[in-house]
Amino acid sequence: MAIIAVALFGILVILVIVGVVFLAMTYNRLVRRRNEVDNAWAQIDVQLKRRFDLIPNLVETVRGYAAHERQTLEAVVAARAGAINATGPVQRAQAEGALTGALKSLFAVAEAYPELKANQNFLGLQEELSATESRIGYTRQYYNDAVLTYNNAIQTVPTSLFAGSLGFRAREYFQTPGDQRGPVQVRF
Amino acid sequence: MPAEIQHPSVIAAAGAVVAWFLLLLAMIFRTRVPDITPGPPTSDLGPESPAIVDYVTANGRLSDEAASATLLDLAARGILRIEEIGPELSLVRLRAHDPPEVATLPEYERLVYDHVRTLARDRVVATGALAEGARDLGEWWRRFRKAVLGEARAAGLFMPRWSKPQMSLLSTAAFVPTALVWVATSQVTTTERGEDDPRWAYAFGTLIAMGAIIGRLRGNRPTERGRPVIAAWLGVRDHLARNPRLNEQPAAAVTVWGRHLAYAAALGLAGRAVVSLPVSLPADDQRAWSDYGGLWHRVSVRYPRPRTSALIHLLRLRCRPPVQVLFAALAVGVIVFVFPGLLLRFLLPAFGIPETLARLAQLAVALLVAGPPLLRAVIDLATPTTVDGQVVRLRTTNFETFSNEKKGLDHWMALDDGRRHREVTAHGLPGELYDRLAEGDVVRVGVAAKTGWVHSGQVLQPSRYRAERTAPPSPA
Repeated sequence: MAIIAVALFGILVILVIVGVVFLAMTYNRLVRRRNEVDNAWAQIDVQLKRRFDLIPNLVETVRGYAAHERQTLEAVVAARAGAINATGPVQRAQAEGALTGALKSLFAVAEAYPELKANQNFLGLQEELSATESRIGYTRQYYNDAVLTYNNAIQTVPTSLFAGSLGFRAREYFQTPGDQRGPVQVRF
Repeated sequence: MPAEIQHPSVIAAAGAVVAWFLLLLAMIFRTRVPDITPGPPTSDLGPESPAIVDYVTANGRLSDEAASATLLDLAARGILRIEEIGPELSLVRLRAHDPPEVATLPEYERLVYDHVRTLARDRVVATGALAEGARDLGEWWRRFRKAVLGEARAAGLFMPRWSKPQMSLLSTAAFVPTALVWVATSQVTTTERGEDDPRWAYAFGTLIAMGAIIGRLRGNRPTERGRPVIAAWLGVRDHLARNPRLNEQPAAAVTVWGRHLAYAAALGLAGRAVVSLPVSLPADDQRAWSDYGGLWHRVSVRYPRPRTSALIHLLRLRCRPPVQVLFAALAVGVIVFVFPGLLLRFLLPAFGIPETLARLAQLAVALLVAGPPLLRAVIDLATPTTVDGQVVRLRTTNFETFSNEKKGLDHWMALDDGRRHREVTAHGLPGELYDRLAEGDVVRVGVAAKTGWVHSGQVLQPSRYRAERTAPPSPA
């Protein structure tokens, strides 16, 4: 009897050790995945801030040639303010979508002003904004891939059984409705 | 010693061959390249481009790093940009309009620039995707190498190892032993009517061997003017080698390090940057890059396990047309039912198992083997599927057939259909369809998904490489 009890105790100890090791490894893996998501979000943040910084210069340049396009200029300023104040991936993605739309209107307006189109400062800003827009697209893709990997990790068995109790929550994708389905155009 | 070897004509031929080799040795000695002592370590960069530096400092051999270094140099000069987006993603971004400098780029830089421009989607290409593109890499590299060598010679840094008179002397002298070999073979061999005449074979063999040796040793060597230039660049290498951090810098660090990173790459001192810019390397079979959907992303490609024998080829019953799989599965099912199944049916009752159960076991074994492929084939035949996507990999593999002399060829296609999971399994497809496709094409294909077979397809949008080749020439 004593031998059986010792054997059972030994098996129990081994199972506990295996369980603890598994839990620790899983926990570390989830932390790494979560950090990747945070890092990817930081990359998006950098690019969005870069865009916010460029917009005032752009608005001032356009105002110098097309001051009476007040409605369009104000729409851009308002969309920028809305994007700055937005929080969370979903709300922020919607605000950024609105800002992109307002910028497209602004560049469409610029088409009617040949002098503005020939202005080197405007051309430089347009190219830089276009590049920033493209970078936002890539950082968004990078973030969404990281979120997919993380969400898959915490929502699949066996991790899903204890991920919630360890404080791992599913993250939201950074995308507006209709994103990711058709070819993306990132040029203005 | 056999009498034939002591024949005067054989001795004369052997003597002529030895004399030719002595002449060759003398010329090798005369044109040998003395070791070049590196100059003092310096950070001053000369006017030579990184590709030229790669060539001249490696004693006339161009490494794969030359193309990557050229791209880094273009970035350092502001002709394009290299940006880091995330830990595993960097982009090469072209300016909105080609800057004026592009028109004056030397041919090898132009080749690199054009490769990037052709690959670029919205003027952007992921650095990892630089190995993509349905180009003839061997031809591309030959042109790149020729252009670099041409510039090195034009700048007076390198010259052919042997001058024209020296080459003429060596080539002409080779005809003497060739002729003597012909004479010696005539003297010592007798040919019966109907037998092959060995004289020409020996003579041509001698000539071809000598020609091959000349071709092998023929190369380029630095000129008097080139040696101090090489010494100066070796000094730059010594200076850059003092900074081990260069080897860890990503390609995007060119915005900080400037042209020094490009030259470090050319001198073999910027490993990480070079690895991330696979301009002159073949595309990886398993890791592809796709821009389907608008943004470059990496796609992992899996291939069904290689078929090592015709039997496995038959039994696996995958990556074949569904009708073929259906009939093959039925045939396999019947075979399994008849032979191992019968054995089972007669063996089991011997152990006291009822005959009904034995019959069921016989049927179960046949269904177990033939059922899954049969089911897959039926599903594919009942639900034809059409998929749009970008061809990311086209590959062929050999497999053995029942006939030992004949090898079969499997054709594979991996398609990125835009799903987010970024992992695709290559499907089999007929050879004639394979020949019509190119990597990068956007296609619509008819797929038998369960049996892993693409039976039809049409190109919706040709790859940019293909479009570039077929586009009419632009007006001058």
